[in-house]
Amino acid sequence: MSPAKLSFRTRYVRTANLLFAIFLLIQFLPNRISKADAPGYAVGFAVIAEAALLCASALATKKTGLCLIADIAAFLYALLIAWTLATAKFNLTKEMLFPPPGIVFRQLAEDVPQLGRHIGSSLALIAQGYLLALAAALPLGLVLGYSARIGNAAAYVAKFLGAIPPVVYIPYGIALLPSFRSVSVLVIFLASFWPILAATMSGVLLVERRIVDSARVLNVGRLTMLFRIILSAALPQILIGCSQGLTVSFILLTSAEMIGARSGMGFYVKNYSDLGNYTRTIVGVLVVGIVISAVFFAFNKLQKFLLRWR
Amino acid sequence: MTGSRKDKIILQNLTVSYEEKGGLFTALDDISFGVADGEFVSVIGSSGCGKSTLLSVLEGLLRPSGGSALIDGAPISGPGPDRGVVFQSYSLFPWMTARKNVAFGIKHARRELKRAEVYRIADEYLEKVGLSDSRGRYPSRLSGGMQQRVAIARALAMDTDILLMDEPFGAVDAKNRVQLQEMLLDLWGHEARRKTVVFITHDIDEAIFLSDRVVMLTESPGRVYRDIHVPFPRPRDRSGLLGSSVYVEFRRDVTALFFGDKTGETEDDWVKI
Repeated sequence: MSPAKLSFRTRYVRTANLLFAIFLLIQFLPNRISKADAPGYAVGFAVIAEAALLCASALATKKTGLCLIADIAAFLYALLIAWTLATAKFNLTKEMLFPPPGIVFRQLAEDVPQLGRHIGSSLALIAQGYLLALAAALPLGLVLGYSARIGNAAAYVAKFLGAIPPVVYIPYGIALLPSFRSVSVLVIFLASFWPILAATMSGVLLVERRIVDSARVLNVGRLTMLFRIILSAALPQILIGCSQGLTVSFILLTSAEMIGARSGMGFYVKNYSDLGNYTRTIVGVLVVGIVISAVFFAFNKLQKFLLRWR
Repeated sequence: MTGSRKDKIILQNLTVSYEEKGGLFTALDDISFGVADGEFVSVIGSSGCGKSTLLSVLEGLLRPSGGSALIDGAPISGPGPDRGVVFQSYSLFPWMTARKNVAFGIKHARRELKRAEVYRIADEYLEKVGLSDSRGRYPSRLSGGMQQRVAIARALAMDTDILLMDEPFGAVDAKNRVQLQEMLLDLWGHEARRKTVVFITHDIDEAIFLSDRVVMLTESPGRVYRDIHVPFPRPRDRSGLLGSSVYVEFRRDVTALFFGDKTGETEDDWVKI
């Protein structure tokens, strides 16, 4: 479909653009808070978002895709409007606990290098624990699921061990392992290992017998059967487990960072709320949301690519 | 027809039974017939008569409970690179493109071939079944008929001696089925060395049109009820054949036999043509 197929109306006349205008207009209302606001940062942020939206509007080829982007922008503007009105303009909340958006965005911009370090530290831990879990759980799940006899017993063991919330290993891990980082990797490993193992095993058990037969009559070897046939056929299930593991990993890591770390996104939030710096606390919460969303966006893209045959 | 020494496939007193809740269930009982090299034999029977079980034995997926199943005089011990198989559905791997599916089959049947050669043959056979344009598509984007074409292309490209087909056109609409039958016959007839085919179906016209012989099974337990020689010469032309009075008569007799099989009677009241 060529870009020209969408009408001007579909492209540019949207709620999101209206909300953007309203957001700009409310900046002219008088401020009711004592602290100096920095509305420029909030406006700057909104302008960047609007520029991105207009680019998307001009380049979009599919209506559904454009609608989604525009709706997300609309939500964002609505949130900014409500936030600005509740804080800077009508002072409905406690100033100290809930700063206006401009101040939060200014803080965000100032803290980019520091935040980058914390994000990097968190993601490195996630990557280590998660990839280790993937490397261990995937082949094990394939073999256990494929050999029905061991698989049945293993399914019960996995259910029992998987039912234990990995957070209970944290104190033991701290006693056992030398550093916070190694404990985190262990906890993330355990958090992702069980969901991936369980999903792989059930995925393998659910593979249609006819697909296995089709492969058997082609005379495939054992390894080909496991890794090219069973693994591919079970992949939709396996990816569900991978996604669960990733979710739990992030929950646990941020919690763990709040308890005992000297770095990481969870540490940033906890540290600054302990110090009473709520602007930075909000910055931290936003950053955690953005980073995890970005990771899952990438994960979903990868999943879509791997399952493009469906 | 039983047990001629040079038959490619020989079934001798083949029996298959399963353990079930109610006891032992006999799916196939004392089946004996042979298939000569290069012969096209259809096995026909109503659903549940064990004809697919019979093919599973030939595929090497199922071990006989009694009797023997031989290929080239040796008992079947498992799946082998000498047999190509087309199932009614799910023959193809959904995560591989049409081309990849065919190539995967060739690679495992003819391990000596180089990669480039494998893909050249895959493309050649996809062209033969008229799917050159769809070779990059995944099975989920192909119609049922196209999927079966790919499965047939794969089975033929594997260049096995034997082709085992388990109701390959059973899930295809009538018009496509006719086209697929003609395509199969055409490809089979034009191979340098004709493959031995065992073709399972419940469609009488399909069995007659395609085969040199039709083996009719009784219902549970499956036994050989009739072994009928199909007298029409090849190459067969569908419109010419179906209109001819010999065909109509032959078909009527076969149909009468097929539907007469309620009691499982086996005495020879059938006049061979």
